[in-house]
Amino acid sequence: MRRTLVVLTGVLALLALLLPPAQAQRVVVIRAWTIGPDNPSVTRYNNLVTAAERLNSDLRREGAGVQVKVEGFFDTTNWDSYLRRVLLGFQSNEGPDIVQANASLNATWAEGGFIIPLDAYLPRHRQFADVVPSLWDALKYKGKIWGVPQDTEARPLYFNKVLLRQLGWTEAQIAALPDRLAKGDFTWDDVLAAAREAVQKRVIEAGKGYYHRPVNGPDFIQWYRSFGGRIFDEATGRLVITRAALLRYYTWIRTGVEAGVIERDRLNNDWNRFFQPVTDGKVLFFSGGTWQWAEMAQLWVHNKGGEEWLFATFGYGPHPTHVKGGKAITMSNPQAYFVSAKSANKDLAVRLLAYTTTPDLDAKHAVGSAHLPVLKTTARMINNRFLKEVSYLLNYTTFAPAHPDLSKWQDAIFRGLSAVESGQVPPAQGVEFVVNEMQRTIGNQLLVE
Amino acid sequence: MAHEAVWGERASGHARRLTSRYLAPALFLAPATALIVLFFLLPVLTTLGLSLTDISTLTFRQPRWVGVANYRQLLGDPFLGRIMANTARYVLLTLLFNVGMGLVLALLTTSVRERYGGQVRALWLLPRILPPVVYVFIWQGLTREAPFGLVSDVLGVSKNWITASPWTVIILANGLVGASFGMLIFTSAIRAIPLDLFYAAAVDGATSGQTVRRVVLPLLRWPILFVTAYQTLSLLTSFEYILLLTNGGPGFYTTTVWALHAYQLALQNYFGNVQFGLGAAMAAVLVVIGLVVSLLYLRVFNFRALVTEPKVEVN
Repeated sequence: MRRTLVVLTGVLALLALLLPPAQAQRVVVIRAWTIGPDNPSVTRYNNLVTAAERLNSDLRREGAGVQVKVEGFFDTTNWDSYLRRVLLGFQSNEGPDIVQANASLNATWAEGGFIIPLDAYLPRHRQFADVVPSLWDALKYKGKIWGVPQDTEARPLYFNKVLLRQLGWTEAQIAALPDRLAKGDFTWDDVLAAAREAVQKRVIEAGKGYYHRPVNGPDFIQWYRSFGGRIFDEATGRLVITRAALLRYYTWIRTGVEAGVIERDRLNNDWNRFFQPVTDGKVLFFSGGTWQWAEMAQLWVHNKGGEEWLFATFGYGPHPTHVKGGKAITMSNPQAYFVSAKSANKDLAVRLLAYTTTPDLDAKHAVGSAHLPVLKTTARMINNRFLKEVSYLLNYTTFAPAHPDLSKWQDAIFRGLSAVESGQVPPAQGVEFVVNEMQRTIGNQLLVE
Repeated sequence: MAHEAVWGERASGHARRLTSRYLAPALFLAPATALIVLFFLLPVLTTLGLSLTDISTLTFRQPRWVGVANYRQLLGDPFLGRIMANTARYVLLTLLFNVGMGLVLALLTTSVRERYGGQVRALWLLPRILPPVVYVFIWQGLTREAPFGLVSDVLGVSKNWITASPWTVIILANGLVGASFGMLIFTSAIRAIPLDLFYAAAVDGATSGQTVRRVVLPLLRWPILFVTAYQTLSLLTSFEYILLLTNGGPGFYTTTVWALHAYQLALQNYFGNVQFGLGAAMAAVLVVIGLVVSLLYLRVFNFRALVTEPKVEVN
């Protein structure tokens, strides 16, 4: 009898050791999928992990009996494959709870029923009140808010100060250039004229007067707008194509190619062929994004002096306009966190996002990847020369419209540009191609003006 | 009643005879048939089914039947002819290079001592065992502007050869990979030709050229058919090198082939709105083209005659 008791006690003691403490913690896995594709933006994922630690300590204090574990990945390949993966992930039960992507995808994903509107959740967390108001607008579709802003940026026109000096510009003239760009005093035609002069004077090689990105992207909306184009009609909620503006844009590009200022094969699908000449200091003007500053500093010029070298070599301002005194422009393509409609833990996911939307994490991402912060507090406290110097660009910024057919619009513009730039068709014919293609693919959701 | 019984018995006897006659072949054919049904017929039917819906990112959850709307939209594309022409150009030129080069390599490497022939063949297999991305990376390196690109350095003309002459690069890049396939098949076929025939030809005073034309090539008909047909079908559907080299550019559908266009419509979009239905319609068209081409080959090469008893005895 006593032996039985001893054994029983032993077994009980063992069980007590094996069992978790009285306050059993249920671990909830929040799956988060994120993408750069630029390497420095890895904080889009890491910040979520840090936020989960903070959330967990609060949950423990509250005695909620739940712990959060973030699982997922940070993608550095490209948008195509990432979005494909996300789409299939949305369909499966193993899909993500949180997805980070362009804010302008809200329309497509909301229409597809993949993500949830967050209006009911947002007021519960004070952190979201600190977000710059205009960023919520970028996430609105059909009157609802579909995501939480993660970062934003601007897309400056960079210029090479060393080359301008060789061209005979004085220091004062170079220093005044951003301001002239902003005032509409230095237009696209002036860009072309300066570049042409630089080619003639052998300051730069032919074709290296102006560089734009080698692959499709949101920037083409910005350039089309800078030539006076409209893309969205608020009244009808339809996409717009302005023939005259598109013709101006295509003509400008074609003129640049014929003048030997722009390469006819600039759209060559190869970012290395963009960054190599740019960071070799061979390109006079180039359109880029603020995040590319970090990319160049960390990957391209780290052995030339990194940011020091960049500051000494490049200046930046908003993109010009096509008429004297017109409105300068830049574009922001804010990133956002979306919550999947299939997520089993929507409340916790949004709370995790609230813990991610804090000034220190916001600043960490902004400084580390040369994006602009999304919180008013961060913008006030951040002490980073480059971010301070580009933040005024947001006064000139524009967003991509929220429309589910936007991708078709952009693809048509891009294809038309590649045809005109490579000299396959003259600008006017290129415009016709684009308008026809849009009418075919977008149909009654398009206004042609 | 009795009559019925007799009838039933006769029927079952008939059935038994049938099964006993066909059971063994059916059993032997079952695995291959199952594979074909699973991995060819069902995907084709799925593709056809998808091509009749409007499935895309937007309608991924509730696709609707739209009948032949996708096919109508394809026909309305003004660049369809161009894409067709690109496809024909790509397939024909690459095929010539593939099969021709494979044949030349096989003939050359079999006519030298095996030690050297084997080494040359091993060298030609390199592109095939490289992952396409790495292989294209090498091409990009070769074709860049001076001072980085080897081609520009050697020729003394600095330009990016991929965008300057995209077709040449695409065909060469594809052909160099493809040639090794023909080379292997033809080499083993040439090996299988009895030496007596070569001796006989030599005794009759045939030159090397004549030996190749009158002895070797006629005996290579079957392997040549096989390689040509196989390469045609794989070229019709292959686009990975084009995708990586030019992505269908530079410009308006310059090097876009049918399979690449289908891929871009159905799976690849920078902004994430992909049109599976439209892509499936294109893939369905490709399946039809593939079938037509296969049948054509079988007719042209007189397939029936080729699969009869071999005229060459190999012991």
